[in-house]
Amino acid sequence: MTYDEIQGKLVKETIYRKKLTNGLEVFFLYKKGYAKQFASFSTKFGSNDLKFSKNDGEMKEVPEGIAHFLEHKLFEEPNGNAFDRFAALGANVNAFTNFNITSYYFTSTDHFYENLKHLITFVKTPYFTDENVEKEKGIIAQEIKMYQDNPQWKVFFNLLKGMYEKHPVKNDIAGTVESITRTTKEDLYSCYETFYHPSNMVMFIAGDLDKNKVFQVVEENFSVGEENNVVKIVRSETVEPNGIANPLVEEKLLVSTPIFNLGYKDIHVGIKGIELIKKEISIRLLLDIIFGKSSVLFEKLYDEGLVDHSFNADYIGEVDYGHSIISGESTDPHMVKKYINDYIEELKTTGLDKENFDRIQRKQIGENLSYFNSIEYTGNSFVSYYFKDINYLEYIELLKEVTFEDVNQHLLQHFDINRQVLSIIKP
Amino acid sequence: MNEHIREEIFKGVNLHTIIVDKFKTNLIKFNFQRPLIQGESTLNGLLPMVLHRGTENLQTSKMLSKELEYLYGAYLNSNVVKKGERHIVDFTLGVADLNFVEDRNLLNESLKLMNDVINKPYKENGLFKKEYLQQEKSNLEKRIKARVNDKNRYAVERCIEEMCSEENFALYEQGRLEDLPNINENNLFNYYKQFINNSPVDIMVVGNLNHADIKKVILDQFEFNSGEKIKIPREKIDFIPKQIKKVRESMDISQGKLTMGFRNNIPYEDPSYPALMVYVNLLGGGAHSKLFLKVREERSLCYYIYSKMDKFKSIMLVSCGIEVDKYDETVEVIMQQLEEIKKGNISNEEMENTKKAMINSVNEMGDNASAMADFYYGQVITKQYYSPSQLIDQIQNVKKEEIVAVAEKMMLDTIYFLNNQQM
Repeated sequence: MTYDEIQGKLVKETIYRKKLTNGLEVFFLYKKGYAKQFASFSTKFGSNDLKFSKNDGEMKEVPEGIAHFLEHKLFEEPNGNAFDRFAALGANVNAFTNFNITSYYFTSTDHFYENLKHLITFVKTPYFTDENVEKEKGIIAQEIKMYQDNPQWKVFFNLLKGMYEKHPVKNDIAGTVESITRTTKEDLYSCYETFYHPSNMVMFIAGDLDKNKVFQVVEENFSVGEENNVVKIVRSETVEPNGIANPLVEEKLLVSTPIFNLGYKDIHVGIKGIELIKKEISIRLLLDIIFGKSSVLFEKLYDEGLVDHSFNADYIGEVDYGHSIISGESTDPHMVKKYINDYIEELKTTGLDKENFDRIQRKQIGENLSYFNSIEYTGNSFVSYYFKDINYLEYIELLKEVTFEDVNQHLLQHFDINRQVLSIIKP
Repeated sequence: MNEHIREEIFKGVNLHTIIVDKFKTNLIKFNFQRPLIQGESTLNGLLPMVLHRGTENLQTSKMLSKELEYLYGAYLNSNVVKKGERHIVDFTLGVADLNFVEDRNLLNESLKLMNDVINKPYKENGLFKKEYLQQEKSNLEKRIKARVNDKNRYAVERCIEEMCSEENFALYEQGRLEDLPNINENNLFNYYKQFINNSPVDIMVVGNLNHADIKKVILDQFEFNSGEKIKIPREKIDFIPKQIKKVRESMDISQGKLTMGFRNNIPYEDPSYPALMVYVNLLGGGAHSKLFLKVREERSLCYYIYSKMDKFKSIMLVSCGIEVDKYDETVEVIMQQLEEIKKGNISNEEMENTKKAMINSVNEMGDNASAMADFYYGQVITKQYYSPSQLIDQIQNVKKEEIVAVAEKMMLDTIYFLNNQQM
């Protein structure tokens, strides 16, 4: 059997890859000594995909939250539900939907190949009826309401609503009670037929397993002939303005202290692969240098009682959008913002300190290394980066390659107060 | 599965090493054991926060953070948790394995730093620095008040508080607001001296480190205190609820949070304890369980529902998020599921699926360093030592009639409901 090898030298991991004739990419990470086996079957279809055409047909628009709704319903089978089949084998099956991906996965410690067959079968077999679609609405409504009571979730989505005028990333992943109420069986099938073709999907497997057998079993479970009906997907591209929708979004919820997200919209988008990941790494280093626990700024905010250890900063970089978010709890989020703005303006003239850069680079090497302890985390990260033409195994090598100059350059570009949004949840 | 070695390396200090070579990082966790009592709970919550502020050598949090960052992002943090009526304060170090980074001194340096945090706090006039203490008191106050932010968890904690209002188990692990004004640099420092002197200490090491080597490094880098260690009594678990306590609390929320607390008074020393574990899992341990299939899948009443046990206190909690007006219906359906088990309405399939799910979790545990550290530390408390495969055997051997016998002992104690209706 032939497959490519993808190397991660520093992390000492190898992933084997094979593309099946139907277009499905299959990856296998051999994890010696792990009892846990993991397989995920993912489609490049997330909550952002609301307007699209299939095989050059008409553009179709679907209700918000449909990718997530579909994720729930795919577990339904003509005779019962997919949970039962995995339960009988002692495996845990689950799924998640984010902005760009829907992923179905299981972990097991026994009967791996049977579980794998079940995974492929249930994802390949939609069974939606008016009745079962209707029944699911009650469950999803409770999921949405659970998130409505979650201040961290609310402050984040309010930030996105302030940041984006048109891009669908501003919508809640699960949609709204209203949008799921009008979702129909036909909508679900239409999304399924567009996005669930193997050529739009990826399978990732990890564990202490035999690689030949892994690829063989995967291949056996896809029928010949699928390659002939590869689906052509065109997603409607929203033109997102460079500006923001609203610089301040505030909402009241029952919290003890105000919770805030301070975001910067990234307008240097539309890139993929190495260029995208290097930008992501550079901005993450930059954020850690400025906002991390060893920074002058954090020390000052902490000593003045304006923030506590929940203070954090991160950057999200997708192909068509990107943003950094500084989050925390504070009695006075406006004051925090003022301190940050004053500090960054000053820093832009003085530049960063090389010693801080070197140290934070070491920190992030160790931190990223630790993520490889979890096979699920490794698998999910690998898949989501793969959809952006990035090899996650090289992350730490690329982290070492990023230079002080790269990071300094982002300091000048990234923090634009015209693209800054403050979201606050207040008591 | 994994080699586990236990040795008393100093009076009252036990070293447990679990040797595994598959991780990229090594975990070293110091557990200090205290009783969960009113006079100490807030001190335990506050102490690690103050200790992480600075050491004799690195006098500020910033300097400490810089050093940790330089040590390839080693993390050093503390949690304060309750295990039954014991209060555990931990100091946890995670550090890159030497196979992956070029820094031979990494382990020694990071352990030295850990010792400094625990044993050489930054002092002014022989006491904790006043300013640090004030700031951390204010942070702890915010943290305790922030309990309301996570409604799901809040409902569970409030149920325990109401249910155990006459027992120490009701104490919140971070501490009590009313204690804060009376804590000063003097009494906290006095408590600290007792804490490091007389708390039983268990050091859990999980990673690519052999026992003799890590023992030597720890003995070289750490100062231990030879004080007589305190004996922490076994918690009482003989409470019989006279009537069902119903508590309703109102907040401005969209989803009602229901938590039901049950007593069974079966101690972990009892031979029927494994049957109790299977019972709890069968009832609400996942997608195979009665609660998930009935309350969620069949009746669409909730998105999440589960049951869980406090092993040491033998209390079971059932928790879910529902529409406020579905309270009566949900309580009824939940109680019906308990009734079903009592009547012995457990299919072979349910029985098998439950056991398989539990065995799967035990097997998976070996791939998670902190889960392993917790598994073996739980045994330190119960003084029952068994390997994961022995635990699997215990689960495997549970019979249906034993589960029914356990079901007979389940007593509903408290129903707590967080809702949005004005009283």
